[in-house]
Amino acid sequence: MSNAASADRPLLGFSLSGRPLRAIAALVLLVNGLFPAIWILLTSLKSEPELTRRPITYLPEDPTLQNFVVAFSDQPLHLFLFNSFMVATLSTIATLFVSTLAAYAIARLNLRYRDLILAAIIAISTFPLVTLLVPLFEIMRALGLLNTWAALVIPYTVLSLPVCTLVLAAFFEGVPKDLENAAMIDGCTRVGALFRVIVPLSAPGVFTAAILAFVNAWDEFLLALSFNSNPALRTLPVGIQLYQGEFNFPWPVISAALVVGIVPLAILIVLFQDRVVSGLMTGGVKG
Amino acid sequence: MATDSKRTGTIPRHAMAGEGPPPGRWSRLLDPGDTALAVVLLAPAALLLSLVVLYPIGRLVYTSFTDLALTSGAPAAFVGIENYLWMLDDDTFWQTTFNTILITLITVPGALVVGLGMALLANLPFKRKWPVRLSLLIPWALPLSFAGLIFAWFFHSEYGVVNDVLRRLGFEGIIWFNSPRWAMAAICLTIIWKTSSFMALIILAGLQTIPRSLYEAADVDGAGRWRQFIEITLPLLKPAIAVALIFRTITALQTFDIPYMMTRGGPGSSTATLAMYIHQNTVSFLDLGYGSALAVVMFAISMIFTALYLRMIRTRG
Repeated sequence: MSNAASADRPLLGFSLSGRPLRAIAALVLLVNGLFPAIWILLTSLKSEPELTRRPITYLPEDPTLQNFVVAFSDQPLHLFLFNSFMVATLSTIATLFVSTLAAYAIARLNLRYRDLILAAIIAISTFPLVTLLVPLFEIMRALGLLNTWAALVIPYTVLSLPVCTLVLAAFFEGVPKDLENAAMIDGCTRVGALFRVIVPLSAPGVFTAAILAFVNAWDEFLLALSFNSNPALRTLPVGIQLYQGEFNFPWPVISAALVVGIVPLAILIVLFQDRVVSGLMTGGVKG
Repeated sequence: MATDSKRTGTIPRHAMAGEGPPPGRWSRLLDPGDTALAVVLLAPAALLLSLVVLYPIGRLVYTSFTDLALTSGAPAAFVGIENYLWMLDDDTFWQTTFNTILITLITVPGALVVGLGMALLANLPFKRKWPVRLSLLIPWALPLSFAGLIFAWFFHSEYGVVNDVLRRLGFEGIIWFNSPRWAMAAICLTIIWKTSSFMALIILAGLQTIPRSLYEAADVDGAGRWRQFIEITLPLLKPAIAVALIFRTITALQTFDIPYMMTRGGPGSSTATLAMYIHQNTVSFLDLGYGSALAVVMFAISMIFTALYLRMIRTRG
């Protein structure tokens, strides 16, 4: 669509827009972004003898899936996956619900303490999780929630609440008030208009918030390490620790387990990259 | 200054309230007042935050004034500021605090510079956008603990790819995790790699909001590319960069996963962070009183930075 002249008008401020430079830029970004994941995939396909040889090989000489078999048989990797998936999904749903309500209040209502609430949200998003380790542990024990998914789902819901609220509020502000008013004239309540008009029109924002929340929960390590002593309830980041013996570090098997943990994230990102990025962009425009 | 902005803030609000159409009786029934609705909408968030943040912080502060320890069966006794005084003479506390600040001072500007470069590259007019997008999103989505493990393998002294490249280039391989400096360097490089793509995504969003007409006008005025970058791109990116810095600085102060996975704080405690020391005191030593006092200090540090950034956001608009 765009002609050569406009394609060569970079937003950078300096000219780096020639075709070879574009190719180099793409290569730099791709190698930087994907090399670690690709390297761990290659490692997972190598046998132990091939891995402990110098000079090291780059491509596996004799690719084997044996490491994946060992990864699943040495530890209940399928359970780690399942736990990570369930904890991340449940906390994402909870975060979206709670932050949608809060974001609407911030974006649309004439709040007397709006600035204070926004400041509180940012302040709460900054609290160091490690400082809550002891008191949260005691609360979860008092509520009888240790060694349940809930012990992680509840803190993870809060973990993503501030950022999801800010993202959603930014998107909600972008929805024209006329559309909301029209829905209310058609008989919607304000909350009805929120869920029937504003949320659907902010779909990219909801997706962004959902993916942020899911990734946050999938990523979390410290609380997962501390709140679930039952091996059957461990999430992936904690479970992967269990492959390390006291003196040996079975890199090929760990790599295989890492690949298993990365694949779901990679699928998520490949499928929804458009929405995530456009969501982040729109968030930037509105924010 | 402050009164001026307050005054300009209140006057339009009154004017706007007067301009609105008078609400009909039926709509008032279906549509509770803003305050009532706000209370209902904000209640779930407030409840969760009270349970998971506010009450625990209160409890944390209280515990920090006791000698609560799970190693002895004795009930916790109130010891005043003893835990805080102990901290002053605790070399490991100072060491881990220093390490945390060092990691923050290296990796936040590092990730900003790398992220800015990546955002500028990613903002080029590519025909297909998805490969570039993917290359920014994958590091962002990768768990910190996974990144720590993967880079520990990269920096492996015998079979790591980093030393392999160094050897091929004619250098000696480095035994990364035996020396405090090299271990810290490896950790900082890993953190910069892991976090720069999030910076890049935010800065990229900022870049795409800059209207092209500004550059066209600058062209007409005869401003060179570099001047355009300094005088248009960077100033207009400031809000995006400020937001990116907030998240980065605050997460850097909490660094735990990557050094835990790469070195467990070693050699000695030369790469241990304050978060790791808190974790060690509470989970390994079961000294909850002292661990809580350390956590209060960390909370205070992070609140200072939060306050700084809140002020920065407000003054820069």
